Amino acid sequence: MISFKEVSIHFKNEIGVKDVTFEIGSDEFIFLIGPTGSGKTTLMRLVYMDLFPDEGVITVCGFDSKSIKKRKIPLLRRKIGMIFQDYNLLTDRNVLENVALPLHMEGIKRIEIYERVLLILDDLGLKETEKKMLWELSGGEQQRVCVARALVKNPEVILADEPTGNLDPIAALDLVQLLEEVNKEGTTVLMASHNYNLIKNRSHRILELQNGVIQ
Amino acid sequence: MELFSKMTDKISFLFIEGFRNLWRHKLTAFTSIFSVFLALLLVGILFIIGQNSHYPIEYFRSKYKIEVFFENNILNVGESEIIKNIRNFPEVRSVTPISKKDAVRIFKNQFGEDVIEMLGYNPLPSSAVVNIIKEGFEKINIAPLIEKINSINGVDSVHYQGWLINRIEKIYQLFLQGLKIAIVLIIIFSIIIISNTIKLTIYSRKDLIKTLDLIGATKFFIKVPFIFEGILQSFIGAVLAVSLIFGLMKLGNNYLTQVSSIEIIWNFYFGIILFTLSILIGFIGSYRAVSKFL
Repeated sequence: MISFKEVSIHFKNEIGVKDVTFEIGSDEFIFLIGPTGSGKTTLMRLVYMDLFPDEGVITVCGFDSKSIKKRKIPLLRRKIGMIFQDYNLLTDRNVLENVALPLHMEGIKRIEIYERVLLILDDLGLKETEKKMLWELSGGEQQRVCVARALVKNPEVILADEPTGNLDPIAALDLVQLLEEVNKEGTTVLMASHNYNLIKNRSHRILELQNGVIQ
Repeated sequence: MELFSKMTDKISFLFIEGFRNLWRHKLTAFTSIFSVFLALLLVGILFIIGQNSHYPIEYFRSKYKIEVFFENNILNVGESEIIKNIRNFPEVRSVTPISKKDAVRIFKNQFGEDVIEMLGYNPLPSSAVVNIIKEGFEKINIAPLIEKINSINGVDSVHYQGWLINRIEKIYQLFLQGLKIAIVLIIIFSIIIISNTIKLTIYSRKDLIKTLDLIGATKFFIKVPFIFEGILQSFIGAVLAVSLIFGLMKLGNNYLTQVSSIEIIWNFYFGIILFTLSILIGFIGSYRAVSKFL
C-alpha cells in the first residue's frame, strides 16, 4: 500500500528525511513516532505527494513519485483520508458541507451524498450536528468531523498527522480507538504522534523517526 | 452516460458553490461589487457625456454664419442660381437670401438710419446667409466651403467668423480626444482596481484553497466556484451601475423635455459593452488570483 525505498529529502539548512525505507501493507496500523522536528510531518507530506523526494522512490496506492503526473495527484489524494492536527476544515461551511466535499469531487448524486454523510456522522456520534457551523462544536467534535470527511469516501489509507495534538486525553484516546476500529474494517492507518503515552501498550507496528532517520 | 451524469452533477455543484460563496462571504462580496459598481458608473457617465457632447457644439455651430455678398450688377435670376448652387453643397444646411430691400431694413434696425434717405440711393448689396450642417463629431473645416463659394460667378465677397469657428472646433476636438483618453485610462484603472479587489477576496481564502487541494480537489474543482463568484460579483456591480445610469438618465430627460428640446441619448450597445467588460474583468481577475495559489 505504501512503500518508501531509500527516500531522502533535503531542505535549505536541514535534512527532512534521510534514507528512509519501509513498507506498509494493506490492513496495517502503523504509529509514526518521534519528537517534534524529527520529520514526521515531512514524511506524511511525502506520502500524499505534497513534497517529492530528492532521492529514492515512494509508491502509494499504485502511484509512484517518479512517474506520477501533477494532474494525477488529486486522484491519489482521493484514495487517502487525511486527518490533521488543526483539522483543516472549511470554516465557512457547516458540518454536512464539509463532510460531503470529497463525495462532490467524485460527482456522486446529491441524495446519495446526503445519506452517506448522515450515516457516517451517526457512526461517529455526531448525529443532529449536520447543520451546525464549526465554531459551534468542541475541539473533539471538530476532529471527529475531520475523521468523518476522511472516512466518507471509503479511502484505502488514512493518514493522521498528530490528530490528538489539540485534544484532551479522553478525546485523544477515543480518537485512537476509533481509528483502530476503522483499521479493523480493512483501511490502512498511518498515525503520526509524539504522545508516547497514547501509543504504549498498543499492539501495532511502530516506526520511530529521529532527525529524519528511521531507527 | 454515467460519466456524463457525474460530470454534470459536479459542474452544477461548482456553480451553486459560486452562488453560495457570495452569501458566505458577504462583506468581501460587497466590497468587490461596490468597486465594480463605482468603476463602471464612472465609465458610464463619461461615455454618456461623450455621446451627448454634440448638444453644446451643435448650438455653437448653429450660430456659425457665412455671409455671401453678391455683385451689384447681378440680376435676381443670377442670385437664385447662386443660392441654388450653394444649397447643393453637402456642408450647407440652409441658405437665407437677403435682398437689397431687406438689407436697408436691417441697416435701419441696427444703426437707426435710413441709408436711402441718407445717400439718395441704396448702396447695400444683396446677400445670403449660409448656415452649415451642425451635426457630427468630426471637426468642421470651413475653408474648403468658403473657397467653393468664392469661386462662384456673381459672388463678390464672403464674410465669416473664421478664427472663432476654427477655435471652437479645435477646442471641441481637444475635448473629445481628452474624453477618449480619460475613458481608456479609467477602464484600465478600473480593471486594475477590480482585479485587485477580487484578488484580495480570494487571498483571504487561500487556506481554504490549500485544504481543497489537500483532500483531492482538482484545479478545475477549486477554480470554477471562485471564477464564477468573480463573474457574479462583476455582473451584479454592472447591473447596479447600468440601472443607476439609466434611472438618472430617465430622471434627467423627464426634466429636460419640459424645459428644452434636448434629450440625453443612451446607446443600447453601450450597456452590452459595460456588461461584457464587467464579466471579462471578473473572469480574468478571479482566474489569475486563484491560479496564484495552485
